[in-house]
Amino acid sequence: MIDFELSDQQRQIKEMTHWFAENEIRPIAMKADQMEKVPDDWLEKVNQMGIHLNTSSFGGSGEAKDGKNKKEREGNRLGVLATEEMAWGDPAITLSLPGAGLGGPPVQSSGTPEQKERFLSIFTTDKPRWGAYALTEPEAGSDASAVQTTARKVDGGYVLNGQKIFITNGARASWVVVFATVDPSLGRSGQRAFVVEKGTPGFSAPKVVKKMGLRANETAELVFEDCFVPQENLLGGEAMYETSGSKPSGFRVAMKTFDSTRPIVAAMAIGIARAAYEYTLDIVQKEYPHHGKFFHIATEMLAEAEQDIAAARLLTWEAAWKADCGKENAKEAAMCKAYAGEMALDVCAKCLELLGPVGLDGHIVEKLYRDVKVFDIFEGTNEVQHLVTARRQYAPYGIRV
Amino acid sequence: MISFQPTEEEIEFTSVAEKIAKEKIRPAAHVSENERKIDAAIIDEIAELGFLSLELPEDWDGLELPLISQVQIMSALSSGDLGIVQGLPGLGDVASFIRKKPEQAVSKLEQAEHDAWSTAAFLDITNRDAPWANQLVVNTRADGYVLHGVSQPVRLACFADYILVAARDADGVPVVLWLDEPAVWRVKEGDVRLGLLASGVGRLSFDQAFVGKDQVLASGEKAADWIANARTRIYVLQAAKEVGLMQAALEYTTAYTAERKAFGQEIAKFQGVSFRVAKMAIETRIANHLVWRAAVKADRMDDDAQKWAMQALYRAHRSVRYVTDSAVQMLGGHGYVQEYPVEKWMRDAQAQTMLYGREQMLLNQYGEQILIGAKEGATP
Repeated sequence: MIDFELSDQQRQIKEMTHWFAENEIRPIAMKADQMEKVPDDWLEKVNQMGIHLNTSSFGGSGEAKDGKNKKEREGNRLGVLATEEMAWGDPAITLSLPGAGLGGPPVQSSGTPEQKERFLSIFTTDKPRWGAYALTEPEAGSDASAVQTTARKVDGGYVLNGQKIFITNGARASWVVVFATVDPSLGRSGQRAFVVEKGTPGFSAPKVVKKMGLRANETAELVFEDCFVPQENLLGGEAMYETSGSKPSGFRVAMKTFDSTRPIVAAMAIGIARAAYEYTLDIVQKEYPHHGKFFHIATEMLAEAEQDIAAARLLTWEAAWKADCGKENAKEAAMCKAYAGEMALDVCAKCLELLGPVGLDGHIVEKLYRDVKVFDIFEGTNEVQHLVTARRQYAPYGIRV
Repeated sequence: MISFQPTEEEIEFTSVAEKIAKEKIRPAAHVSENERKIDAAIIDEIAELGFLSLELPEDWDGLELPLISQVQIMSALSSGDLGIVQGLPGLGDVASFIRKKPEQAVSKLEQAEHDAWSTAAFLDITNRDAPWANQLVVNTRADGYVLHGVSQPVRLACFADYILVAARDADGVPVVLWLDEPAVWRVKEGDVRLGLLASGVGRLSFDQAFVGKDQVLASGEKAADWIANARTRIYVLQAAKEVGLMQAALEYTTAYTAERKAFGQEIAKFQGVSFRVAKMAIETRIANHLVWRAAVKADRMDDDAQKWAMQALYRAHRSVRYVTDSAVQMLGGHGYVQEYPVEKWMRDAQAQTMLYGREQMLLNQYGEQILIGAKEGATP
């Protein structure tokens, strides 16, 4: 049955994460942006509270408590609901929360049981730890199939050489999922995914970049110089690549990851847009006259913004719902990401327009505006999302665009 | 629980509607437009399936379906041709008033209830500040009301056996009037060329037409509530029809651009084309979901159902114009000529958005509700 009401669990998660965002994240948002880092003691504190950023699942995996009735899986829906709230608090801090982060989904979906245990069980409350996901290279951004980092097979493992850029939490991560090719001439089918652990000889993070926004969140450059990675860190193990024959398994791991992370990224963009909208609405209600040209402009801009946010949320919920049902969701994941990323920047710009010159001085909306731009770029640019959407749209007609 | 899964019954209904849309409605679109009426065989078939009485209550022999089911069926039917769907006989928008009729109105509507083939037009003249509103006025008399003047164009005017008028009298009091004597009005067909040509669009002219108290279905607060409820349902259903038109335009454009070649390859392979089609797909999906959500809210009689309905209709208007214009654009010169259906869809879409609420007004009213609350915000 078509329904837009939240289940009890969904409501609970939403309320809990909103409370956390409002009381723990938002109060330090501007300070963290200024410091260009999230305070270490704050990270220690939230880690002890068990608050993690895990984009691969958010519980709700389906088994009823009595073990008899299988409940509907709702982890993806819980994930987008929770992430919207967290990003509403502050996106840079949300992305800096300890946990597997964007590295979680590939390990969860493609790792062997032993790898899942080894890499996902480290996120405990004794100290903050992070996972990361490294696909982008200087010459391979949107074209993820053009990865040039090499993985040479040697006795007992692989030797990695190459460079990765724009890696969220890349320098602090305990491990990084790294995509490399065993043979560039094989294109996508030559790709493999490895889990490279911090401290591995030949693996370094020489540079943390400075950005327009998301300044409190670490974005690193990673370098692999004759970095030996043991065979047991090949994600999914050799067997996965052997059974898939010539199919592009490593590339598929990367793409499959996007199907679950794009709705999460879309949800974050929605949270940012909502934060800007709610902040501005409050100011407009207090400072604007209730008649005349300014009022008229505000009604239209706020109505449009509110509606665009709702539209993006529904697209995102659909993508997450499909994932929970085990339905193919690549098109929906791309659609929600394409729309939400673009919409969120537009909403933030509208809010800045409503604030006028006052918005330049000490208001969070300008920070949100700087933060949100990248949501139309990372995890696949707006253009890539349109390409994915178009490919799925034309697939029934046998045309590959 | 958040879910986008239609029920089994909805899937069955929709599949029947899609079949008739494709096999019967689409092929008859141009003939209906040229003749400005719909072939009786098509009407019979649609009526037999119950699609003319989805909104009517069971005590009127209707199916009394929830809005969430109706919007899926109406979208599917409209993907055949919006011009035909909007010209179908029956109670049209008035059905949403019947669905939520107050007790005291029941006896006054009896004649229409027993007249299975009657058609009704809905004349909404509640906004006395609207441009041209002074061309049709409702004056109060001790024993009833007097209508004088000419209305703006309304759908089904040319075919109407009955007219339901939602108005405000000279004192600004809301009233709902039921006109069941066609001699009371005259229809001015005018010179309509843009679109929805088979939908009986015309102006209703009244010459000091007296409406007795027995034809007053409601007045005052009761009338205001009734109008608001019915308007919510009308907004949602009209938006759903626009979604159907968008789906037609999207599918047709996808198929066309997948086959049409230029510069040695299918034009879909040019990103200028495929990205525009992707945007059409996204807009269509957004409009659909907003309609679904508004329908669910209305079914649950949420306090803010009207707000969601307004939002759904605003977005549907904006999206249907974008999607149908894109369809013409993607077909190029072929899109502009009548051998292909898309130019008609663009015309129909534009006419539809003109008949059912100005976009900027909807946005404005919605914004006022956000800023100063539903009660203080202006109502349409």
